[in-house]
Amino acid sequence: MADNAVPGPSKAIGSLTKRSADATTRQGNQKTKFIPVLPTRRTKDQVKAEPTNETVPPETTRGRGRGRGRGEGRGRGRGGPRPAVEMTASGPFAMGPTMAGNNARRSVPRSNFAIPTPTSDRSSLGAGLTRVSAAVIKKENELKGEKIKSSEEDEEVYSDPDEGVEIVDMENVRQMDWMAPESLRKERHVKKKVKKEEPTDPEIEAVAVEVDAANALDLSESEEEEEFEDLVEHFSRQEPVDEDPSLREERLYFFQFPSPFPEFLPYTPPVTEEDASVKKVTFAEDTKPGSLPGSARGSVAPSEATVDDKAKEPKTVDGIIGSLEVYRSGAVKMRLSNGILLEVTAATQPSFLQHAVCLDIPEHRLTVLGEVNKRFVVSPDIGSLLTAMEISEKNGPPKDDTRMDVT
Amino acid sequence: MDLDDELVTSIPIRFSNALSPTIQIHQFPLLTRPLQAPPSAAASGKRITARIKPDVRRLEIHVPSDTRSEVWNNDRGRELGAARVDDDREKNQEIKSKHENDEPRLNEVRMRSEQIQQKGSHMLGIVRDGQLHLHPISETHQLRPTLTYLDILSRKKRSRGVGSDSDSDDGPPPDPDDPVPAAPAPKKEKKSSGEAREVQVTARRAEDKGLQAAGGLSVARREMLIAIRAEEDEEWQDLEFCDVTTGESEETFERIFSTNEEVLESKTDVTAFLKDIAGL
Repeated sequence: MADNAVPGPSKAIGSLTKRSADATTRQGNQKTKFIPVLPTRRTKDQVKAEPTNETVPPETTRGRGRGRGRGEGRGRGRGGPRPAVEMTASGPFAMGPTMAGNNARRSVPRSNFAIPTPTSDRSSLGAGLTRVSAAVIKKENELKGEKIKSSEEDEEVYSDPDEGVEIVDMENVRQMDWMAPESLRKERHVKKKVKKEEPTDPEIEAVAVEVDAANALDLSESEEEEEFEDLVEHFSRQEPVDEDPSLREERLYFFQFPSPFPEFLPYTPPVTEEDASVKKVTFAEDTKPGSLPGSARGSVAPSEATVDDKAKEPKTVDGIIGSLEVYRSGAVKMRLSNGILLEVTAATQPSFLQHAVCLDIPEHRLTVLGEVNKRFVVSPDIGSLLTAMEISEKNGPPKDDTRMDVT
Repeated sequence: MDLDDELVTSIPIRFSNALSPTIQIHQFPLLTRPLQAPPSAAASGKRITARIKPDVRRLEIHVPSDTRSEVWNNDRGRELGAARVDDDREKNQEIKSKHENDEPRLNEVRMRSEQIQQKGSHMLGIVRDGQLHLHPISETHQLRPTLTYLDILSRKKRSRGVGSDSDSDDGPPPDPDDPVPAAPAPKKEKKSSGEAREVQVTARRAEDKGLQAAGGLSVARREMLIAIRAEEDEEWQDLEFCDVTTGESEETFERIFSTNEEVLESKTDVTAFLKDIAGL
């Protein structure tokens, strides 16, 4: 359908879409003309509308995608397509456009926001798609308007369309049909590095917004710039935000820890004194890096490790293993029990869809838990690590054979 | 990091492996939109389905195509559909269709999984009620559309071309396959040679161990062939595909969360932890 309405681009796209495009356009849908209209630069007041300061402390629902929370927060209502100038193709084989980029839009735990608007509308519209050219977009806009209040304000205003010609913002092509090609995101170059340095400070941010009002919006569009700030946002939320209850609140994150992940045991297994020592409860108490007793460790640890390894697989581990700390500087750290301090940094965000699924083979069921919204890399905190090693070297060596070997 | 860095918030991290071996990450490198049936297909009752060969860890997710004539070339769809049927037959994965007389159509995209090695230990994290819940991720898979039926198609075309040389090749065949022929050719050979050699493989194996220089390539190849055959021999098991919107998903999702308030102790201390990290 998009192809019909937009003959220009589809021709340019080349072989991928060729067949479908040709097939459809041959059916006499050539009347429409595609007139790309570059959106005008957002004005200041729009920027003001976005409460940038608030993006840090409260939950910003960004994970939801631009559809909701962020959309409002940013003064940009659309959940659907991001700005775009170019188009990519989609053919009969493609599940959709093979375009990179818009993952932010999809960060939806449970919802259809990610999807181009039409999805729901479309199922009904689908049949009539063919010959509607002008009406389609209009309709879309109306529908959209109903659903999302603020979106209309953002629509670009175009001059009156000629007869039979629908003017479509290139960025909105995506909305025209479920199969419509995805628009590439418009590149917006921002020099917001300033902000990056102290993104967590609301005051500074406020200043930044004022100073750099014109760019503020751009900031909101730039995934990379957001990253740092997001890092904090994701974890600083303490209370659930009141939202559409039908949607799942939680976002899914992906953490890459160093392997192997530290093993955890229940702190106080109800055991006798002897067992306790075997279970290394005593050890647990002594595990502060500084005060390694070593005596228990050197002898007991090895045998225990094996015991644990055996026991571990089937065993369910469940409980609190530490805390995640957010610092004013924007640093996020994980402090696990036993003095393990880990640094959390945003990882490269893949642009494609990632599902967390539960594959239950006995039950013959594949359950999608949701989309992974964000990836983090967790690495040992070097500073604390060095200190710990220093200390352990001071205290540990004479007694701690096992560790010495390897260190 | 600044020394005077101020702690803003601290939230507990909870860990659970309740669902442990079952949680996986599925990546769809070619998908930049949610995985769901197109509205038109959904309206006609088509759903995403999945099937798996558990032993070889091969998973397929079948997503119905949007076959509205506006966006879909029906003729081509039939052509490819027929090719797919052949392909299925060859791979020993024929679908016993309920509608036998149905004309084969390419009505779905099959996303086929490929297991990806995990670097590090992967965790799924969810923030709920101000707590970060972690759950280990056991496997990572990438799913991409399979297009193996194109091989069949181009093979057919090729043999047709060989049979009637004078007949122009470019008569009936559709354009997109033009670049393909080169690729499927070796693949086909490989396959056929593999099948032919099937008996020899076992016999040769012992010898090959002796003369590794000569056997090197064929060892690798044999492994491949064995893997391919193992996969082809295994039956698909259908899976129920539960979307995020389903109750099943909700239920399972709840089970991820740690329910135990107990504070766990690690027996690994930070230096040991570092030491244990593979590759350091």
